[in-house]
Amino acid sequence: MTGKKQPILRTEQLKAFYILEVQGTQKIVKAVNDVDLTIYENEIYGIAGESGCGKSTLLKALFNDFVPPLRLVSGKLYYRINWEKEIDVTRMSPEEMRQLRMEYISYIPQGSMSALNPVLKLKETYKDFIGSHLGSQSREEIFELAYKQILALGLPKNILDLYPHQLSGGMRQRVTIALASLLKPRIMIGDEPTTALDVVVQRGVIQMLRTIQENFKNTIILVTHDMGVHANIADRIGIMYAGKIVEEGTTEQIFGNPLHPYTQFLINSLPKFGDKNVRHSVPGSPPSLADLPTGCPFHPRCPHALEICTQQMPGFSYPDENHKVACWLIGEGKHEQSA
Amino acid sequence: MKILGDLFRDYRFIFSFIVLLVILILAILSIFSPYDPTLWNVVPRDMRPSAEYWLGTDSNGQDIFWQATFAIRNSLIISLIAGLVSRVIAILVGMVAGYVGGATDRILMFISDSLLVIPLFLVFVMLAMLVREHMNLVVLGLMLSLLTWPWDARLIRSMILSLREREFTKTAILSGTGTVRLVLNEYMPFTMPLIFSTLINNIGFAIGLEITLAIIGLVDLMTPTLGTMLNWALFYQSTFLGRWWWVLTPVVLSLFLFIALYWQSVSISEYLDPRTRIQRVGA
Repeated sequence: MTGKKQPILRTEQLKAFYILEVQGTQKIVKAVNDVDLTIYENEIYGIAGESGCGKSTLLKALFNDFVPPLRLVSGKLYYRINWEKEIDVTRMSPEEMRQLRMEYISYIPQGSMSALNPVLKLKETYKDFIGSHLGSQSREEIFELAYKQILALGLPKNILDLYPHQLSGGMRQRVTIALASLLKPRIMIGDEPTTALDVVVQRGVIQMLRTIQENFKNTIILVTHDMGVHANIADRIGIMYAGKIVEEGTTEQIFGNPLHPYTQFLINSLPKFGDKNVRHSVPGSPPSLADLPTGCPFHPRCPHALEICTQQMPGFSYPDENHKVACWLIGEGKHEQSA
Repeated sequence: MKILGDLFRDYRFIFSFIVLLVILILAILSIFSPYDPTLWNVVPRDMRPSAEYWLGTDSNGQDIFWQATFAIRNSLIISLIAGLVSRVIAILVGMVAGYVGGATDRILMFISDSLLVIPLFLVFVMLAMLVREHMNLVVLGLMLSLLTWPWDARLIRSMILSLREREFTKTAILSGTGTVRLVLNEYMPFTMPLIFSTLINNIGFAIGLEITLAIIGLVDLMTPTLGTMLNWALFYQSTFLGRWWWVLTPVVLSLFLFIALYWQSVSISEYLDPRTRIQRVGA
């Protein structure tokens, strides 16, 4: 199915490191280490992983937002703008990139207290964001559109006259989604959009995202550590560990047949109805991205670790269509050379 | 108009507004003064307050009421120049240093830190002696402004540094907001209460410093200001001779001015922050 789809966002061996210089010694935090992603049109792609595995940095990298100390070390990032050929956006000027943001690729922040400017009414925030993209003549029309969209999404109509702190968490989250989708971007990237909400509101937010995706036929990339959300909404899931994608597959493949031991731990730690067994979490804690273990970064926590795991990072093997995994236990002899 | 209506629900604002209005009217009245403020012996000397001389007269033979109107006007001019010019410098330096960071930040903060550690008062005394020949209201105002911005630049910089790390900055940048728009439209409303209260603080500080410089005789004593009035009153030993009307006029005026400025700044700062505004006036 995905074979017919065109990729809309693609990364090639993307490496984004934080390079810090403290008292003359250099410290390198390998937050995004050699990531190959291909994300297609009209799909919802989930990126999962525990805290400190580089999810947020990957998100920044996908926006081509490299502010020191974060640097793009190597690799390429392609967008396919207007269904034409792919463009390497890392070569774009900041002004061109600024224009693309929100119009082509938009950001859904976590609807926390500070996601929107707390001293401005939502109207002003809308005005600022829209004003960065459109001239004054079409601004009125956009405001009309904003009102219509707000009503269509079931938000109260006086909401634009309120300050962010006057909204509940769920409303704030929905406003941020409404704002992100206002200019009908082709790609929307959400940074933990359902975290810090209770499950009922989460459901509403997920439905809202899905409605928007169905209407626009665009791509949503969802970064969250909540596997339940991924199971609900994502078409494909990438599991991230220590700055690398370690397993990628369709939602059915990831949940039905998790192959990487880390993915297995993630899935098995989810509670199920009727199952009273004690849930086991991943032993240990994630490695420091500034001081990664040799070989596969998961080997110190992996119960099945082999000799080779401590020495060499495995490449991807393809146990199934659309399913790839980087683990020495899987697909013997068929490993690609890892970079 | 609605803004004024909301502000007037605060007693501090009402009080300070009225006081400032009275002081402003006094300053404007100087236009209608029957006497030239630089001339001596235009009225009988050392008269007590009376129907003819509302606040009495001084030992120079000047009418204290009309002298005070000039003093208020000139002190306000000096302090406004000092306050506004130093505000512009402080905002520019603070925002650029805070947002741009890196080497720019280090250079700007090196300059401002150097100014911070120098004992300002001695520098003022030295500067005032150097420019004595050309001393007038504008020169004095500029002199005060050029050395009082570093504190506020640091304050604004620290505010911007903290704002830059907040989530909404990321939202704005990833939604394609340009740097200038981000700083002016998103950060400015945040720093407004801070800028405003430092402006008023600075005006108060400038008035106080002018008084100090005048008392040690480093400004043009023929130009009436709150400071020079006090200088003359002390020069003629008015406290020992019981001429309270002379020494009290500038003291009471500056006291009211300071209190009014302070309350004004507190009240407006609270109003500018939407959270405290909603707590107070509910709108």
